[in-house]
Amino acid sequence: MSAKMDMEARFGRACDALFGALKGGEALAVDFGGEDSTFLRFNHGKVRQLGSVERADLTLRFYAGGRTLGSGVNLSGDADADAKACVALVARLRDQAALLPEDPYQTLPAASGSSREEFSGRMPDPSRLVEEVLEPGDVLDSADADFVGLHSQGPVCRGAAASSGARHWFATEIFATDWSACLPNGKAVKSCYAGREWDGAEWRRQLAAELPRLEALKRPERVLPPGAYRVWLSPDAVDAFVPFFSRMGLSERAYREGSSAWSALRDGRKTLSPKFSLAQDFALGAEPRFNELGELAPERLPLIEGGAFANAIVSSRSAKQYGAVPNGAPDWEGVRSPSVASGDFDDGKALEALGTGLYVSNVHYLNWSDFDSARVTGMTRFACVWVEDGRIVSPIKDLRFDESLYRLWGDKLEAVGCRRSFIAETGSYVNRDLGGSLVPGMLIDGMTFTL
Amino acid sequence: MSVSVKKLVGEIAPPGAEWCGLRRVRLSARALQAKDGRFDLAYDYVDEGCMVEVLYRGQFGYAAVASLDSLALSRAAERALTLARVGSARPVHAFDRSVRPATVAKWETKRAPGRLPGSDELCAFAVDATRAMRSSEKIVRADFLFELRDEETEYVSTSGADIAQLKHVIGYNATAVAREGTLTQRRTLNGPRGRTLQGGAELLDFPAIRIEAVQAAAQAVELLSAPECPSDRRDLVLAPDQMMLQIHESVGHPLELDRILGDERNFAGSSFVRLEDLGTLRYGSELMNVSFDPGVESEPASYAADDIGNPARKELLIEKGILVRALGSLESQARSGKAGVANQRAQLWFRAPIDRMANLNLEPGDSSLDEIVGSVEKGVWMEANRSWSIDDYRNKFQFGCEYGRLIENGKLGQVVRNPNYRGVSSSFWRSLFKVGDASTFRVYGTPNCGKGEPNQVITVGHASPVCAFRDVEVFGGEA
Repeated sequence: MSAKMDMEARFGRACDALFGALKGGEALAVDFGGEDSTFLRFNHGKVRQLGSVERADLTLRFYAGGRTLGSGVNLSGDADADAKACVALVARLRDQAALLPEDPYQTLPAASGSSREEFSGRMPDPSRLVEEVLEPGDVLDSADADFVGLHSQGPVCRGAAASSGARHWFATEIFATDWSACLPNGKAVKSCYAGREWDGAEWRRQLAAELPRLEALKRPERVLPPGAYRVWLSPDAVDAFVPFFSRMGLSERAYREGSSAWSALRDGRKTLSPKFSLAQDFALGAEPRFNELGELAPERLPLIEGGAFANAIVSSRSAKQYGAVPNGAPDWEGVRSPSVASGDFDDGKALEALGTGLYVSNVHYLNWSDFDSARVTGMTRFACVWVEDGRIVSPIKDLRFDESLYRLWGDKLEAVGCRRSFIAETGSYVNRDLGGSLVPGMLIDGMTFTL
Repeated sequence: MSVSVKKLVGEIAPPGAEWCGLRRVRLSARALQAKDGRFDLAYDYVDEGCMVEVLYRGQFGYAAVASLDSLALSRAAERALTLARVGSARPVHAFDRSVRPATVAKWETKRAPGRLPGSDELCAFAVDATRAMRSSEKIVRADFLFELRDEETEYVSTSGADIAQLKHVIGYNATAVAREGTLTQRRTLNGPRGRTLQGGAELLDFPAIRIEAVQAAAQAVELLSAPECPSDRRDLVLAPDQMMLQIHESVGHPLELDRILGDERNFAGSSFVRLEDLGTLRYGSELMNVSFDPGVESEPASYAADDIGNPARKELLIEKGILVRALGSLESQARSGKAGVANQRAQLWFRAPIDRMANLNLEPGDSSLDEIVGSVEKGVWMEANRSWSIDDYRNKFQFGCEYGRLIENGKLGQVVRNPNYRGVSSSFWRSLFKVGDASTFRVYGTPNCGKGEPNQVITVGHASPVCAFRDVEVFGGEA
């Protein structure tokens, strides 16, 4: 049995046991996350840590007598033991829920639809990871660059089911080689080769393609004073700002609780540039549309259109609490599969259009710095260079920016690139994340740098 | 314990392995939250599994499974051995068994006698506290969260390690959000999740916590009418709940030896500290003494041994401002030849241990709070972190706080909102000119320090007195 089939079987058996243990008047929603991952962590082009992780986790919401209690448990893969654990868990939840106050905004699962998506992949044989992943990195030796990063591979599965009848399954076999090439002067390039079909030739091509960028980073460093600079933000750099639509972002709950930095946009007190549009777009196919209650989000949900607020992210719980219309959002009400609209600017002419300014390939450690004005601070990081008259002059000493997103994507947004990049999600806190974003590059006139 | 992991490790060690270790972790956790005088959420969950680790020709391989079944663990051990064999062809360092000591230890969080409140009591308190916090119409959100964790770890190995540790961690926080017009301000109890400590019922003094929660809400309202923090250079006095973040970001992470060795360059970053700086670098002023101390009662990352079995003890990392030791585990010590500490720690059972902070503290000095404030002619007091950002080698930082007060001519004065400051680690610490005495010393922690590839989140502790820094760039918001 393949790992994906085994995970689906575990999910199915757990659902049967859990729903079978419910009594009248009780309801349950089951969220499943599973993976069988191999992780190769490397430094200096050599193996730092190498191992595997097999996880199959259930996150539950149990509803009884107006009470709501969440829970979680691991599935071991032993069918009998897991079934017994599920039945015992329902009994424990029943007892524990009785101790709680009533949930004023309880939203019983109501979805009854089903779906099943499965994507096969071709991964390197684990016994050949050194030859397939690490040895091609030797090409970076010619640039005197150090090869550092993480290769992860294997199936990742998600499932959701509810006592109301919903049953969804999503499984995909994916890899991601998230890597950097670091020069002795501290400068580095970063890239990620991710997908379902490992292609050694493509991997070698991507490695070699970074050699010219590394050469440019060997030039003497330019130290720039704080100030406002004309900037080209690469798609990777733009992608780093996208989480700010999720974190204190476009959530209905955050707006109602005074915790959305986009309140001014929603209230119409501020707008972004007409060039800026953002949607949640599951046509990217990188993650499932269902949420933990088995509800489906629309395939496409405009969030900001032409610089104006279009829709909030609304979970069923927020819908009940605030009288809003739900749109299949998970309870955390973050943006999934974000897609920033492309513009009409020819990316191939980015350097020329930039003229004199900063080409920002990557930014690091962003955070809100002034909530009410949607100001975000962070650092330039990988492969950021100074450009004069459309030509790369030198790498820069890193700079701190502190800029309002209302300005960055407002009157300072000069152009949006016509080509968009898919940036795969590579996070792996607890489980390997799914999804990614589709984002263009952006030309900014006068981005504020402070340190 | 129904399964003997000590017996298991002998059964599952695969032929060909030079060494085999087994780490079983069981996390049992509860979270309860009320919002605006009503129940909001409750979770009660368990996460349990094992990591098998195998050594083959200098390379460790690991395999993690959510099972205690000997057959499943045997398969995991075989898989770990296969991967160790693969890695041994090209290891970053050839390790041996000396980095997996045969330590025998048993340890549990010290707790005062007394029953922990049940979920019903915790909910009732949270509901009441958040109702009380909404005493002003300007409060648009008041929530109170409890997080209780019991983390049980057993670590055994074929070379004789036998360690059992049980941590009891309690966290709680109140958050008040106040709004007037287009202005929003928030206050918490010492920053988000800062009150994460080891202990028992003694940590839950409900009457005192209720008063603090109500005061936090009142301060959120107070901030709405306060002026913005001025934008200029002046002396900066930081409360221990902001020192926690300052120590974490600009001392802890740059001293992690695996960062200095380059392991994190693709993710969290490296460090402005170089190996050759150990023993010579003037990190801060002579008042700066920083310790790795796994033995501070109630601090959340106290333990007897790390996750590779290295016995933990207090070590000074920075002594009178000079960097003397890094946060490096036995593996990092073997790679670098530098002294370190017992800090190779993992997120539960499904991540391999790496160099982490544990309890990282600034030792108390000899100034009272009055003496510190009295020594400042023009300054600002800041407390409770709300924003943090630092570069990838941990030098250029910008931090924001919830609450500030101007200091003029040696006296605390006007409350200011949106207090922020920025600086450079290597020069910032050299501007430290006052360190508070034991009366100003407070213990905090956070459960969400992120690092590593694959990513890991872990609990760390930070304790500090009030500290004062000379001539820092401070600034406010835009509203």
